[in-house]
Amino acid sequence: MSLEWVTSSKNLRSFENKIKKYIMTKLSNICANPCKMCQPLGAITAFYGLKKCMSLLHGSQGCSTYIRRHLATHYNEPVDVASSSLSEEGAVFGGEKNLFKGLDNLIKLYSPDIVAVSTTCLAETIGEDVGAMIKRYLERAPKPAAEVISLSTPGYGGTQFEGWFRALRAVVEQVPMKKVSLDSINVVTGPISPADARELKKTLSALKLNYILLPDISYNLDGPFSLEYNRLPQEGTSIEQISQMAGARVTLELSPFCPDNLSPGLFLRDNYGVDLIRLNLPIGLRDTDIFLKTLKDLGAVIGDDIIQERGRYLDAMLDSHKYSAQGRAALFGEPDLVYSLSRLCVENGLATIVAATGSIAKEFKERVENELQQNQSPLAGPFSVLDGSDFTDIEREAVKGEVNLLVGNGDGRRLAQKRGWPLVRCAFPIHDHVGGQRIKNLFYEGSISLLDHMVNSLCSNLESSFRKDLKNQYFRSNFGQDKVLELDLEDLENNINGMAPASKSIQRPIREYVPKKLAHPCFSLEASHSLARLHLPVAPDCNIGCLYCLRRYDCANESRPGVTSAVLNPEEALERFLIVKKKFPNLSVVGVAGPGEAMASPEKTLETFRLIRKSDSDILFCLSSNGLALAPYLRDLKDLGLSHLTLTVNAVDPKIGQKIYGHVDYYSKRYRGLEAASIILANQMTALKMAVDLGLIVKINTVLIEGLNEEHSEQTAKTCAALGASIGNIMQHIPVKGTLLGEKRKLSRAELQKTSEKCALYLPQIRHCRQCRADAAGLLSDDRSIDFTKPEEGLMDIAAKVENLAAGGGRQVKIAAVSKSGVLVDQHFGQAERFYIYLSDGNEVRLLETRNVASAGGCSRCGKPDTIGGGEARPKGFIDKLVKAVSDCEAVVAVRVGESPQSKLAALGIASFATYESMERAVLAAAGKILTGKSQQTDSSNLAVG
Amino acid sequence: MDIKSAILSKYNAKVFKSRKDHILEIEADQTQSIAANTRAIPGIMTNRGCCYAGCKGVVVGPLKDTCVITHGPIGCGFYTWGTRRNKAKSADGRNFIQYCFSTDMQEPDIVFGGDKKLKAAIDEAVEIFKPKHVMICSTCPVGLIGDDIHAVAAAAEKEHGITCLAFSCEGYKGVSQSGGHHIANNGLMKKIIGADDQSPIGQYSVNLLGEYNIGGDGWETERILKKIGYHVVSVFTGDGSVEDISKSHRADLNLVQCHRSINYVAEMMLQAYGTNWLKVNFVGLKATIESLRNLAEFFGASELKDRTEEVISEEMALIEEDIARYRQRLTGRKAALFVGGSRSHHYQELLSDLGVETVLAGYEFAHRDDYEGREIINQIKEDADSKNIESLVIEKDKRYRAILTPERYEELKKSIGLEQYSGLMRQMKDGAWVVDDLNHFETEEFVKLLKPDIFFSGIKDKFIIQKSGLLSRQLHSYDYSGPYSGFKGAVIFARDLVMGLEAPAWKLVTPPWKKKKELLDA
Repeated sequence: MSLEWVTSSKNLRSFENKIKKYIMTKLSNICANPCKMCQPLGAITAFYGLKKCMSLLHGSQGCSTYIRRHLATHYNEPVDVASSSLSEEGAVFGGEKNLFKGLDNLIKLYSPDIVAVSTTCLAETIGEDVGAMIKRYLERAPKPAAEVISLSTPGYGGTQFEGWFRALRAVVEQVPMKKVSLDSINVVTGPISPADARELKKTLSALKLNYILLPDISYNLDGPFSLEYNRLPQEGTSIEQISQMAGARVTLELSPFCPDNLSPGLFLRDNYGVDLIRLNLPIGLRDTDIFLKTLKDLGAVIGDDIIQERGRYLDAMLDSHKYSAQGRAALFGEPDLVYSLSRLCVENGLATIVAATGSIAKEFKERVENELQQNQSPLAGPFSVLDGSDFTDIEREAVKGEVNLLVGNGDGRRLAQKRGWPLVRCAFPIHDHVGGQRIKNLFYEGSISLLDHMVNSLCSNLESSFRKDLKNQYFRSNFGQDKVLELDLEDLENNINGMAPASKSIQRPIREYVPKKLAHPCFSLEASHSLARLHLPVAPDCNIGCLYCLRRYDCANESRPGVTSAVLNPEEALERFLIVKKKFPNLSVVGVAGPGEAMASPEKTLETFRLIRKSDSDILFCLSSNGLALAPYLRDLKDLGLSHLTLTVNAVDPKIGQKIYGHVDYYSKRYRGLEAASIILANQMTALKMAVDLGLIVKINTVLIEGLNEEHSEQTAKTCAALGASIGNIMQHIPVKGTLLGEKRKLSRAELQKTSEKCALYLPQIRHCRQCRADAAGLLSDDRSIDFTKPEEGLMDIAAKVENLAAGGGRQVKIAAVSKSGVLVDQHFGQAERFYIYLSDGNEVRLLETRNVASAGGCSRCGKPDTIGGGEARPKGFIDKLVKAVSDCEAVVAVRVGESPQSKLAALGIASFATYESMERAVLAAAGKILTGKSQQTDSSNLAVG
Repeated sequence: MDIKSAILSKYNAKVFKSRKDHILEIEADQTQSIAANTRAIPGIMTNRGCCYAGCKGVVVGPLKDTCVITHGPIGCGFYTWGTRRNKAKSADGRNFIQYCFSTDMQEPDIVFGGDKKLKAAIDEAVEIFKPKHVMICSTCPVGLIGDDIHAVAAAAEKEHGITCLAFSCEGYKGVSQSGGHHIANNGLMKKIIGADDQSPIGQYSVNLLGEYNIGGDGWETERILKKIGYHVVSVFTGDGSVEDISKSHRADLNLVQCHRSINYVAEMMLQAYGTNWLKVNFVGLKATIESLRNLAEFFGASELKDRTEEVISEEMALIEEDIARYRQRLTGRKAALFVGGSRSHHYQELLSDLGVETVLAGYEFAHRDDYEGREIINQIKEDADSKNIESLVIEKDKRYRAILTPERYEELKKSIGLEQYSGLMRQMKDGAWVVDDLNHFETEEFVKLLKPDIFFSGIKDKFIIQKSGLLSRQLHSYDYSGPYSGFKGAVIFARDLVMGLEAPAWKLVTPPWKKKKELLDA
């Protein structure tokens, strides 16, 4: 069976490699999921901004049909594009005849002012010279009743972005110009929405400027509903207006990436001497400011309205800054927009992690990178700027950069669905939502709308996942309800192939519904609040030597595995079970967890279970084992009713294992090093597989040791999950002095948490483990084992009392005890809510008073804010307050006293004793130590007597 | 002036001559003939697509286990990306339906040839996406520059151990999508059908031909067939796979839903394997019931017939109430239908179930047999365009098997119309209009003249219709609704119609200040 393990782990490794490869591969020859369209589409869109203009595509009719369907779906308006309908004959003998026929028919049926003829791949490949053809067409008699513009837009020569500008360039080149000087300005834009074109016009009018907008798609692609439908686009830039562009004062070209050879502004400057100013799209605060400043310099009057708008955008920026800062966006679309979006994100503190365009635009990468390097917070980490990219590239970079937001066109929906990232649709094409024509991005108002959309997408994702995330984080152990374990081997393979969306991966049920009586407090946080457990210390021996373990009998100030007050024999164990059951009717589980290895003394463990089973047929059994000698007994254990198994697996790589396991005693022989680690690993995996096959619920405990298995624990979880473990538990290594790993740093809860989260990807994790003593009894949060230890233990020796009295000579010492229950010393000093002040002469104990100190709140273990309960963090200076509260005492007894309070107490001459005892006994013992002079002020060693 | 003259009068002489034979008014007692499958007229805004659209967009595209690579510049691949709403799910997570693969040819590829890039693209696709099947669809420039895609496909098969199939479906071939259907049919016949003789086939086995699972239509149909006890071996090609189609030759019967796009496969399989075919229509309640009964009759087993009746009454009981409620609100409405090559026929039956009369029906790319019935096929003259599409010569395969005796065959021909299709016109009422290759201009004119309540077509004419104040429903994509087939689909269809006709917005079109005074006062 260890063979099986090897195979599966090998599998895992090769899957990992595949994923890595998939993520890292840059496709160069195959375009998978394009982020661009073809040139004719861009040209046709731009021509929709001309008044009474019809487009005709010279080529196969499919091109017209496809482009019509795509534009109509986005704009929700009729889109008509004629075709010269070239067939095979036309492809072979040339398409002039078809083109002329098409023009004739189009002009007759539609009576347009302008016909724009763009070419397709077919026409270009067979080398059609449309310019010359149109010249011949126009020379025919009778002269056609429309202006004809022609241009060359092969699909392989660029994207819709270039197609758009090619159309505009052809317009200014081919429409006859009037060279009359006018006071107007030309405004040329790249692809923007009809709503934005409308905003642009409104703003220019409000600024009291004469302008000519080229193109103006505001009406033709977003018309009002009326019953009078006109098949010819009625609005837009007219021929008359175009012919006046040569006489304008200046051309404003709102496109940073319009190629020079396609720039209408450059053409007008070079041929007619019209000044050219190139600006970014007025999106975001900075670029709208620059736009308005430029217009002001040209004589515009900036009204109060627009100043208020600016203020409102600023207000919106501040309103959202807390949420924006959590955004990590991937932006994609046409170069102008992506650049502007990145600048808007930057000024809002929303990180741009990926900025991608499908076009290849000069300086795009450079300018976006500059913007991000100079103005984006370095805390956002690395980003990538891509041109000529497809959605496979975008996905790769977005996964790498851990984005949480997509901003761009509607084609991102597949990625959004697959990865569970929200998508803000703000660019062409949008086919899955309505309102593509009404998108507003420009000016302060448009920026507000964009920003709100982005931030709200983040908010609703947060809103809908917040509880789930918290639940996963804190309630992960409820595997009874967690019916599924996402991501299994099949999933991994699917993800590699990019086939299955991660969020909708094939879900493998890990357990059928677990009946309530199977609930186990150590396996389920909910159960831990209500159900009690009893660990029976019946197995004193151990068969391996963990380098972190030092097993000592009874050390009451420690509560961790391997520690117990006394070892019981099976009969005594039964007796204790019966007593505890009487006291705790909610006792649901009896387990054997040592103090050694449960299966190092198998006969004792089995006998204990057998005896208890005879007297109680319902109680659950659980077992904690290192797995070395477990497999041969699993069937017997199962037959006795064992339902839960905890297996401690610290590593699934013997090279790491050998640093954790000192030796292994196996079939009367002691193995060390790699050999030992290999044996235990193989046996653990065998036991795990077998237990799962027998239907046991298996929990994997992993002791996380600084610098040893931190990085490796994910692999451990993965392997164990693959073999069928249900749940994992990452445990803190509690360094014990005197052990080989005693000098290791105790890892912080945060570090533990991080590892636990990583492991949870493969194996659900419980996070409420208390690392109980081997004789623990009661609720996890309220260990009462002390009540059930043998009565003679811990009794104060009369002789000692006498000695105390003699030494003290009747002197009484005042001692503060920390207790939550009011009976036991059961809290850390730092957690004290009240002190019990005792007076003792070493023989008798008298309670003087109780002193309340404000509630500390927070987690009882680490003092951090208790996120579940919503408690508050311990206020600063709280420790000083506690020390002050006991400043008149000579000693403090608590479960533990931290270093800082210890030294603060010592400075006042107060001794601190760490103990876990009934308060009276603890005070008595402490008094004895002080009176007999055995105290060295600080004594963290065993205080308990006996 | 009658309706036809009114419309044709706007055309010049040449167009008039060409269009007049594509438009006719039904005269029920006459044998009428229509012109179809001829070249579209340049410049008059036809709704037709191209050969590539028929091959990649319609037939090959929905195959979920196949990586379909468009060899060409980016546009064509992009425009067929998920636009047909072919639904597909796969058991093993391998599903290419959400993907768009293209070689994204650039100028140098056009000048120096694109086959090297195609080869590299296949290598990359195989390495990363691990498809078992790759298909290559070519676009206009590919045929013109002479890339040998078939050689590349053959080499890829050898090198990667996959099935690789190339289709020379350049956009300029033929006169519409129809040529592309034929090319795709040929490819499937040559290479895929008959490739798997191993996988087990159940009793009463059928293939569902010409079902593209738009909006889940195929799923509803399959549900019913399975409920009765048929084994659906394969579906061409909605939610279909090469894996299933490979064993389709061993099914007992081919069911033909979309006659236009797939009748070639039906005929070729009949010749090669002896598989009989039956024209069915699972759109419409009466149509579905009739199809199911014919199907049971083909197999002749009484258990099958009994089960069929049982399922019909079960299914009808579930929907009767809903249908009655909707029918009440729809009865008396008039509809116009202009869809691809079969739906304009199929949906008339469903509409008639709901009390809606069809006043106009037309096909985008159908042939004369789709209008007039298959018996006129031998009268159709071959023209230059149809000659350009290869017609395979099929020989009897050694696995040929006839499951019917000659007598039974003749009997079934008469009783259930085995291997026959009578076309759309015979079902239409006196005075209704039939128009082939309806264009934008004619759509507008017919709307004005016939005043239908609902116009069924596609996205390209949707907004023309809507802007004319008329309900438009898309029968290509179902406006993101569906399924419309079978029993449950009929209810969804009826609901969608009522919802559309009764949308409150229609009543709000005219503002109060433009309404007549007495109306305002009332």
